[in-house]
Amino acid sequence: MINNVTDRQIELSVIIPVTERHDPVQQLFHIYKSEIEKLGKTYEIIYVLDGDFPEALEELKKLRVTERLTIITLAKWFGEATALNAAFSNSSGDIILTLPAYQQIEAWEISPLLDALSNCDMVLARRWPRNDSWFNQLQSRIFNSLLRSFSGLQIHDAGCSARAFKRQVINEISIYGDLHRFLPVIAHRQGFRVTEIDAAQCESDTFRRIYAPGLYMRRLLDILTVFFLIKFTKKPLRFFGLVGTSLFGIGAITTLYLVVERLLFDVALGDRPALMLSSLMIILGIQVIAIGLIGEIIIFTHARNLKEYTVDEIIN
Amino acid sequence: MELSIIVPLYNEEASVAPLYDAIVNAVQPLNIKFEILFVDDGSTDNTVPEAVKLAGKDERLRIIKFRRNYGQTPAMAAGIDHARGNILVTMDGDLQNDPGDIPNFLHKLQEGYDIVVGWRHKRQDKLITRKIPSRIANWLIGKITGVPIKDNGCSLKAYRADVIKNIPLYSEMHRFIPAMTSLAGTRIAEIKVRHHARKFGESKYGLSRIYKVMVDLLAIKTILSFFSRPLIIYAYGAGISAVVGLIALIAGITQYSANQSIVFFSVAFLYTALAIVLFLWGMLGELVYRTGDLKTEHFAQIKSVKDAL
Repeated sequence: MINNVTDRQIELSVIIPVTERHDPVQQLFHIYKSEIEKLGKTYEIIYVLDGDFPEALEELKKLRVTERLTIITLAKWFGEATALNAAFSNSSGDIILTLPAYQQIEAWEISPLLDALSNCDMVLARRWPRNDSWFNQLQSRIFNSLLRSFSGLQIHDAGCSARAFKRQVINEISIYGDLHRFLPVIAHRQGFRVTEIDAAQCESDTFRRIYAPGLYMRRLLDILTVFFLIKFTKKPLRFFGLVGTSLFGIGAITTLYLVVERLLFDVALGDRPALMLSSLMIILGIQVIAIGLIGEIIIFTHARNLKEYTVDEIIN
Repeated sequence: MELSIIVPLYNEEASVAPLYDAIVNAVQPLNIKFEILFVDDGSTDNTVPEAVKLAGKDERLRIIKFRRNYGQTPAMAAGIDHARGNILVTMDGDLQNDPGDIPNFLHKLQEGYDIVVGWRHKRQDKLITRKIPSRIANWLIGKITGVPIKDNGCSLKAYRADVIKNIPLYSEMHRFIPAMTSLAGTRIAEIKVRHHARKFGESKYGLSRIYKVMVDLLAIKTILSFFSRPLIIYAYGAGISAVVGLIALIAGITQYSANQSIVFFSVAFLYTALAIVLFLWGMLGELVYRTGDLKTEHFAQIKSVKDAL
């Protein structure tokens, strides 16, 4: 027990969220602990259980007899981001390290991960080179390249939970629900420097993962949420306007074409479903723009409370 | 503190020092207390070190450093939020505006105006990509907002602090500040300013702004109309679609004998439905506006503060 110090002096908070997928707790604890001890920093370890995992809880309680660790249990499933928030507010280290409750990267990668934090605000581990099945790699590639193109952040492995960051990052941004994957994207958006380092993938992480179709749908929706959050929250009409004007444009051109044909070339209009389609597009386009305008009014009436910029420092 | 000069800077390492000198040379002879606010908009070059060097020698120079690039309006908003002066002057950091014009702005404000806007009457920019789009944009902005300003894009402007500090500035709203403040019944003056060709660096915007300006203009028009005549925009839309629906209905009736009216009738119903829904959207907008915290009353408040001066 080298950690007989008061909370104030803790340098590193290690947060391990326990979710559906977790390895035997005790074994992993010792693997992580031995690596963290090598860092020579004062630290705390916080386990947060996102929902009801009686076996894991039992094991953690046994661990607590001999080890120093904090256990936080959420009453029900709230999503990993909420679990992380609970842990953040109960932690006190200036540096926060989140680790998965299963072996994802080799534990000896923790030290280079923290070293890289010296010249940025957030470090992500990227499982590279990967030795998974092609299926895992494919779905991860698709997800990450979508995320890259939407966010502009060069991120290659948003699914890897091993991340180190400064406390300032979570003081300024908030995540909820399932958005923990996008913490780096939101941090990047807020102006924090985010870097990625390669880390060796664990052997036990390489099994093929096939999720329910609903889950893929949810990921996609998450990406769209983040995309909207970071790009258009301040200017909803820029987004709605783009969708609305293109719909309206296509509809208007088609309608015009049909009307011209009717008037000049005497082609019958009354029995053409194309007229209905083009009218529907015009109507949909106008609706979308109208919704965007409502969004603008919402933003405007709240504009006094929105700070759009983050000040790094003020000199003089 | 009487005067704050706010300058957003984005990758202007070569301009910082000459700009500082020019501002000091222009304002020093006026014998008033002033501060210069350099707002660094996440520059990636040596803008900040250059500015810090100057700030070490002169404590009238303050630097606000953003963590990343946010754009010109947020940079101006930050400067306005942090300024301590009674009069605020904003200008570009690329040396195209001439700080030598600042005294003229102050004289105009003393005449009783609340906002003085610069007009680059001999603009030194490219004709096709800058001057013509800007002409059209200014004409449109004037027509739509009802505040005819010849040069909305000119950053060199001077404000009374109590007027501008209450105007919400976000996104790329800086172009519409005169229109926004007109709600408060502000008196706006426009004076000619000198404009220099770019010496250092390159222009940070081009033609891609057209879509943004158009969209912002529509948004501003809607917002402004909610202050004076709520629902009007939506009512116009509803009216037009009702007329289109009516035309389709008439076409359906006249073609009835030819047995071709189903499509016409359907289209008529669609547009009628749109008219109703648009009206409802307008009411929703009104609801949002009524429950929000920025209302006409708020602008009225600015006016009374100003009158008390």
